[in-house]
Amino acid sequence: MRYVFVTLLLIINLPLVAQAPLSREYELKAVFLYNFAQFVEWPPTAFSNSEAPLIIGVIGKNPFGTRLKDIVSGEKVNGHDVSVQYYDNAEDIGTCHILFINLPEAKKREQVLQLLKDRNILTVSDAPGFPAEGGMIRLFTRDNKIRFEVNLEVSRAAGLSISSKLLRLADLFTPSKNS
Amino acid sequence: MPFKDMPIRRKLMRIIFLICGTALLAMSISLFIYGSRSFRKSSLEKLSTIGKIICTNSTAALIFENRQDAKEILAALKAEPHVVTAVLYDEKGKPFVHYPSELDTNAFPLRPGPEGFRFAHSRLEGFQPVVMETRRLGTLYMQSDLGDMYEEFRNYAIITTLVMILSLSLAWMLTRLLQKNISVPILALAGTARMISDKKDYSVRAVKRSKDELGSLTDAFNDMLEQIQEQNLALNEFNQKLEQKVSERTIQLENLNKELEAFSYSISHDLRAPLRGIIGFVTILEEDYTSRLDDEARRITTIIKNNTMKMGHLIDDLLAFSRMGRKDIEKTTISTSAMVEEVIREVAPDDKNGHIQWVIDSIPDVKGDINAVRQVWINLISNAVKYSAKKAAPVIEIGFISRQGETIFFIKDNGVGFDEKYKHKLFKVFQRLHSTDDFEGTGVGLAIVEKVIAKHGGRVWAEAAVGKGACFYFSLPD
Amino acid sequence: MIPNSVDLLLVEDNADDAELTIRELKRHKLANNLYHVRDGEEALDFIFCQGKYTGTRDISHTPKVILLDIQMPKVNGIEVLEKIKSDERTRQLPVVILTSSKEDPDIKRCYDLGANSYIVKPVNFERFTVAIQSLGYYWLLLNQNPV
Repeated sequence: MRYVFVTLLLIINLPLVAQAPLSREYELKAVFLYNFAQFVEWPPTAFSNSEAPLIIGVIGKNPFGTRLKDIVSGEKVNGHDVSVQYYDNAEDIGTCHILFINLPEAKKREQVLQLLKDRNILTVSDAPGFPAEGGMIRLFTRDNKIRFEVNLEVSRAAGLSISSKLLRLADLFTPSKNS
Repeated sequence: MPFKDMPIRRKLMRIIFLICGTALLAMSISLFIYGSRSFRKSSLEKLSTIGKIICTNSTAALIFENRQDAKEILAALKAEPHVVTAVLYDEKGKPFVHYPSELDTNAFPLRPGPEGFRFAHSRLEGFQPVVMETRRLGTLYMQSDLGDMYEEFRNYAIITTLVMILSLSLAWMLTRLLQKNISVPILALAGTARMISDKKDYSVRAVKRSKDELGSLTDAFNDMLEQIQEQNLALNEFNQKLEQKVSERTIQLENLNKELEAFSYSISHDLRAPLRGIIGFVTILEEDYTSRLDDEARRITTIIKNNTMKMGHLIDDLLAFSRMGRKDIEKTTISTSAMVEEVIREVAPDDKNGHIQWVIDSIPDVKGDINAVRQVWINLISNAVKYSAKKAAPVIEIGFISRQGETIFFIKDNGVGFDEKYKHKLFKVFQRLHSTDDFEGTGVGLAIVEKVIAKHGGRVWAEAAVGKGACFYFSLPD
Repeated sequence: MIPNSVDLLLVEDNADDAELTIRELKRHKLANNLYHVRDGEEALDFIFCQGKYTGTRDISHTPKVILLDIQMPKVNGIEVLEKIKSDERTRQLPVVILTSSKEDPDIKRCYDLGANSYIVKPVNFERFTVAIQSLGYYWLLLNQNPV
C-alpha cells in the first residue's frame, strides 16, 4: 500500500518538481478542484449556453501557481471547456462555478460566502471550520492524504447536486457535531 | 438373435423404442447445446453488467485515489460467489486494488489485457475499461469460475435423464398396449396358418379383428383357404373319378388280356390238334404202308411232315412271343454262368464230340426274370450255333462288359453273319435275313429277345459282317 | 372189355389223337388193359363207378395210370384231376397229363393240383416210357402185360 502511494506521488509530482516549487499539498488540491467538477451537477441556468465554459475561480492568494491552469487546459467537463479565473474581491466574481476561497480570516470568508449565498457556486476551502461557516467543501489532510468534508445542506441550498460517488469519499458535515 | 429373425412383437417394441430414444436424445442434445450457449451468453452478459456497475461506481474512487472506497466497492462482489477475482487498475495500468484483499499478487494479471470477457480454461475472465466521459480512469479485471454453469449442466443432465426414463417407460407401456393392434392379428394369422399346415385342415378360418390392411390380409387369407378347400374338393372328386376310371380300364384290360390268353391258348390247342393228326397219320402211312409207296410218294410224305412240323414250331414261337409281351417280369438274382451252361447243353446236345469251340468268360450274376432271361440265352445261343454250324471250325464266344449301372453280355460267333444294312430289321418279328432253305427258323427268336430285354430296361444290338460272323449284345441294368 | 381190370385209362376227346396214342401203345404191347373214355364226364363216371358205370365195376379196382387230356368239352382235364385228387379213395392214383404244348400254362396248374407227369402230344413210346419211369410204374405196368 505504501508502495502504491509512493509511486502515485512520484508520477504526479515529477513534472511539477521540474517546473516550479509548489507544495505537494496544493498540487493535489488543484487536481481535486478540477475533479470536483466531474461529480457536481449545476442547474442549467448556471451556464449562459451549452458551450459556455465552466469557470473555476480562486479568491485570495493563489496557492496553485500556474498548475491549476495547466491541469484544466484543454479539458472538458460535460461539454464545457474549463477555465480559471482569479479574484481579489468578492464583488469581482462574475460567472463562476467552483470557487476556491483562500482567505485566512474567517470573517472575510463569511463575507464572501454571504455574498455568494444565492448563486450556484461550489465553494471550496481548506480553512478549518469552513463548512460550519456555510462553506460547501473543506479540504484537509488525514494520514498524509487529502480528504474532504462536505456540507450538503449548503450545496443543496445552492442548487448543486453532488454525485453520491463523490459523497462516498467525503466526510459529511453535520451542524450538531460542529456546533 | 438377429433383428430379422425376432418375433414381430419384439421387433415392433425395438423399433418404437429406438425411434423414441433417438428423438429424445436428439432433442436433449439440441436443448443442451442451445442451453449451454445461452447460458454462456447470459453468463458473459451478467459478468459484463456487474463489471459495468463496478466500473461506474469506482470512478470517484479512482479519481480521488481512494483505495479504501475502491476496496469496498469490490467487496460488494461477495454477493456474487462465482466472481472469484477482481482487480482494479489505475489510469497507468498498475493494480490499484484487488478482491479478495488477501489474494496473492501473482494470482492475477499485473497489467490489463485487451478489453472484453472470454471463456478461458474452466473460467470466464476479462477486462473492462473504467471511463468517465472520455476519460480513461483505469481498468477492471474480473474472473468468474464456471461453477454456476457446471451446476446448471448437472441439473440439466439430471432432469434430462429423468425425463428420458419417464418418457421411455411411458413409451414402453404405450407400445405394449398399442403394438397389440398390429402384432396380435399377425400372430393370430400366423398361428392359424401353422395350424392349417400342421393339420391339413383347410376348413379353419382366421378371425378378422379390424378393417385395416391386416383385416384385408385376413380376408385374403381366408379367401385363399376357401379356394384351396374348393380346389381340394374338386381335386379329390377328380381323383376319385380318375381312380374309378383307371380301375375300370384295368378291369377291361385284364379281361382283354384274359381273352387274348384264352384265344392264344385255344389257337395253340386247336391249331395243333389237326397238325398232330396230319403228322400222326402220315407217319402211319409211312410205317404201315411202306411197301405200297414208291419213292416219290415217300418224298411227298416227308415234305408233308416237315411242313407240318414247321407249322408246329411257328405256333410255339408265336405263343411264346405273345406271352412274353403280356407277362410281368419278376426279378431275382440269376446265376448267369450256370444258366448259360445249362442252355448250351440244351441247345447243342449233339455237340458231344467238341465240334464247336466254346470260349466262355466267367460271367457275373444279374438280376432279372429267370424264365425270360433263359429264353434270351436260349434264342441267342441257338442262333449262334445255327448260323455257325456250316463252318469247319465254329467258335462261339460268350462274355460280358461291366459298365456303370449295367452289365453288357455278348455272344459272338464266326458264322455266316449278316449284312449290317439290314440291322434295323433284325429284331422285328417274322423278319429274317436268311432264307429258310439255308437256315431254319421262324423269325421270332430275336423279337422275343428284344422284348424281354426292353422289359428289363436294357438294350439289344448287334455287329456283323457277311461271312465273318455276328456279335449280339444285350445289357441288363444292375 | 371188362372195365374192372384196367391198367391204363385214356381220357381223350379227340378221336384222332386217341387213335394215334392207342396205336403207339399197342405197338409196344401196352394197350391190352387200356380203356378209352371220350370226355371228362365219362372219365369221372368210370373212376367213381357212377352214371353208366354204376354196378359194372368195383371202385377199388382203380386203373394203374390215367392218361388225361386237359382240353376237353363239358368237364375238362383240370376238373377231372381236381376231383381225383380231392377224393380219399383216388388220391393216390397216378395221373399223366396229355398236352398240346409244353408251353401250356395249364401244366403248372396241373402240377399244383397233384399231377404226376406230363406228355406232349402226339404220344410216342419214348416219351411215354420217360413219363412212366418218373412214376416208378414202368416195370409194374410192363410186367403185368407180358408179350
